[in-house]
Amino acid sequence: MSTTTVVEAWAEAPLVRYVSQASARLVVVMTPAGQVLAQHGFARAMDLMAAAALGAAIMASSGALAQQLGERSFGALFHAGRHHGIHLALCPTPRGSLIVLTVFGRETSIGLVELFYEEFAAALKRAAPVEQVREPVLAKDFEADLNRSLTSLFRR
Amino acid sequence: MSLVNFTTREITCKIVYYGPGRSGKTTNLQYVYSQVPSDRKGQMVSLATRTDRTLFFDFLPLDLGTISGFTTKFQLYTVPGQVYYNATRKLVLQGADGVVFVADSQLRQLDENLESLQNLQANILEHGVDVRTMPMVIQFNKQDLPPELILTPPELDDALNFRALPTFPADALHGPGVFETLKGIAAGVLRGLSEGSGGIRRL
Repeated sequence: MSTTTVVEAWAEAPLVRYVSQASARLVVVMTPAGQVLAQHGFARAMDLMAAAALGAAIMASSGALAQQLGERSFGALFHAGRHHGIHLALCPTPRGSLIVLTVFGRETSIGLVELFYEEFAAALKRAAPVEQVREPVLAKDFEADLNRSLTSLFRR
Repeated sequence: MSLVNFTTREITCKIVYYGPGRSGKTTNLQYVYSQVPSDRKGQMVSLATRTDRTLFFDFLPLDLGTISGFTTKFQLYTVPGQVYYNATRKLVLQGADGVVFVADSQLRQLDENLESLQNLQANILEHGVDVRTMPMVIQFNKQDLPPELILTPPELDDALNFRALPTFPADALHGPGVFETLKGIAAGVLRGLSEGSGGIRRL
């Protein structure tokens, strides 16, 4: 069963609606650094991170190319494969620019994805809060946990 | 900036391995990949040329386990070391929570190390980050080479370590120092999260 998970709750309702309307198979909402804020359809966290890293890289390199050509950005990119298409677009929000990667199949079309993406981007923009100053997250004595985790990771 | 999910209690951090061409950045990731059990790592993605030189980046997601009650994931990236790939280096560096500078210990590579270090500082500044607040460690790689070809860790420390950063002698091809380096940068990045503000200050 496909699942939707979010790091920040404000992204959930717009994402669920977008997935349903556009009949998207996979969606990742990420920061320009490739950090995932919300996703739909990925079963494995590690696959999700690789998709986000590659999506952010495509947007970063096409953005740099746009600047060289005197464009502000190329807005959205679309690639069509035999079984899947991808739509990759920037979404400016009060929380900073975000990137949305949408993977879709033959049950929908790029036209529908683009149509509902515009609504999705507007909904994200309305819902996103301005980034808050962060309070301490980890306990001061986190290093004992870190040592234990890394030791088990490297089987030492 | 590291992402914290308070609902699922997850932390995700981005670490970039930086350094001159052929200093061993990709080798570090390959060694980590070879040692970590498959349920704690993702696929290693390498955007490389036909001759296996890094073209854009290598990427390895790692599950570090539970730290202070948070499931902690690290995303390890490398940059292309060759001088003319600066545009892509800058892109990969965006949003980094910590940097491992992989120096090549060979005497003849000293100038390349210095040039790359200066390039790193310039690129961090271009992202509007105060370089003094970026968690960073230096790895002196290739310490396994014959002594007449390399500088010792104290010599490299004198030549490269202007900020008194943690340093780690290493032989990334065979493993010594790779784990210690990763542990060093992980501690530096997570320390920022235990102090609030993420540690990194924007200019």
